[in-house]
Amino acid sequence: MRYNRAAIILLLVASPSHAQDTARSEREMIQQLVQQVKALQEKVEALESQQRASAPSNTDATSQSVSTPTPQAADNNAQPAALIQELHGLRGIQWRGFGEVDYKVLNQRTPELGTYGFVPGSSGNFYTGDFDLLLTARIDDKASVLSEIAIGEGDAQSYNIDLERMLFNYDYNDHLRMSFGRYQTAIGYYNTAFHSSTWFPTTADRPLLMEFSDNGGVLPTNAVGLSFTGSIPSGKLGLNYIAEYGSSDTIRPDLNGQTLTDENNGNHINIGLFARPDSIPGLQIGGSIYHDRISDFAKGPDVRLGQMIVNGHVVYIRHGIEFLGEGFLLRHAYEHRSTAYDTPAFYSQISKQFHRTRPFFRYQYINADVGGILDDVDLRYGPSFGVRYDFNDSIALKIQLDHTVRKGEPDLNGLHMQLVFKF
Amino acid sequence: MQTKLIVVRVAVWAVVSLIGMAGFPSAMAQTSVVAVVVNEKNPVKNVSTPELRKLFAGEKHFWSGGLSVRLFVRAPGAYERVVLLRLLSMSESEYKQYWTAQVFRGEAQTEPVALFSNGMQKEALAVYPGAVALVSFQDVKPGMKVVKVDGHLPEEAGYPLN
Repeated sequence: MRYNRAAIILLLVASPSHAQDTARSEREMIQQLVQQVKALQEKVEALESQQRASAPSNTDATSQSVSTPTPQAADNNAQPAALIQELHGLRGIQWRGFGEVDYKVLNQRTPELGTYGFVPGSSGNFYTGDFDLLLTARIDDKASVLSEIAIGEGDAQSYNIDLERMLFNYDYNDHLRMSFGRYQTAIGYYNTAFHSSTWFPTTADRPLLMEFSDNGGVLPTNAVGLSFTGSIPSGKLGLNYIAEYGSSDTIRPDLNGQTLTDENNGNHINIGLFARPDSIPGLQIGGSIYHDRISDFAKGPDVRLGQMIVNGHVVYIRHGIEFLGEGFLLRHAYEHRSTAYDTPAFYSQISKQFHRTRPFFRYQYINADVGGILDDVDLRYGPSFGVRYDFNDSIALKIQLDHTVRKGEPDLNGLHMQLVFKF
Repeated sequence: MQTKLIVVRVAVWAVVSLIGMAGFPSAMAQTSVVAVVVNEKNPVKNVSTPELRKLFAGEKHFWSGGLSVRLFVRAPGAYERVVLLRLLSMSESEYKQYWTAQVFRGEAQTEPVALFSNGMQKEALAVYPGAVALVSFQDVKPGMKVVKVDGHLPEEAGYPLN
């Protein structure tokens, strides 16, 4: 019993001293760790200062550059960035598709190209227009490839494939951006703004003036060659240029679709200038001059004429408002003769977005000189109006009414309904 | 005694409310400033509002030093996205339509990459030397270089991206 009491006393005396020892050793360990952390911090600072000294001094003293990422941080960032690239398709081929289904009613008695929808013996007709596939790929920071393949409907549900565009693009800098391949000529605004897809235009069809040449359109809409564009240092004026040189050889059918005319175009040159002033975002004012030489086989196998197309345009697209206005003068001047034929033309279009609905109005006019190579077009003018309803960002329905006055022929009235989609 | 207590409580509530009302707009202003941030290696110091508009509209493809511009934007719903749309004077649907058209025309190689967080924007900025993004000033982190707009830094008077 005595031994037990002694043992308890010893334990009671010993335990506080043991606790004191443990606390002291923990304190010492913490002090050691703090010293080690301080030493590591000093090493990191020394390494960072060495890295800053070796890196080029390209940071802005006046702006708030917070710190330089360490190599380790950069390595850590590489993986998420690669993931970002994969997720958002910055590498590889990107596909986009545009489609349309149309129903068109015309009070037409004689079929015409460019108006579609005509089936003898019926008042209306369904057709699918162009099914457009856009392929783009980035090769590196400056080089890329763009290709647009249109599968168009011909007569009796036959389909043909057309390589509308195939371009190798190389952007040297903002002042010189080059394209090589098949492009859509930058005559005015419409052709390069909307290309072949019906998704982008507000209206259900192109103005007759801008119709593709294989549908009876009067302009050489496609060419193979070189295209240069870029900005011109001009301060707040925002000037840009376009220069094209290539072959725009065109086979144009007459509007009645009965005769094909091979224009045998020589190489063309097209120069354009346009301004996007800083003070009015969304405004573009510009013009272009196009020149080439074409044949008139109707007048003889060797008859050549110079074709000049002058354009001026004003476009405003912002705050839900869309205004397009383009004027053209086509001059066909026979070589070795004094005869020249002028074709003035214009179209004007205005629309305003109200939530998902966009009502629009368009007026077009073209007056081809009698006796020239555009005899089949003659004088045509008239309004179109309708509405575009966007169900969402990828599906829209357009309803359009047309009235076209044609010289020497009955007026043409039409209803055009078009379902367009992109994917 | 009880009436006095109620009066004191009401007075305290009124004072606190007044302070809160006075302080709230400044707090909002602080959180609603959006900075233009680029990679640290980008030598750009200042951009004008029209230049910024051209950058985010895909009309300017290169920085003055020759670096290729890489646009990173926030996904719909983020405050930075609202400021971006205000800068471009576009609605969300107009913005999407605009960029689809830009790619279709060959004016841009790709649409701007939409990211879900400012952390992802920071990572993208660190990797691409030509990257540019809009980030809430309070979320600016080490590794992001803030660029002046019209000669002003965020929180300075006259800074346009509020």
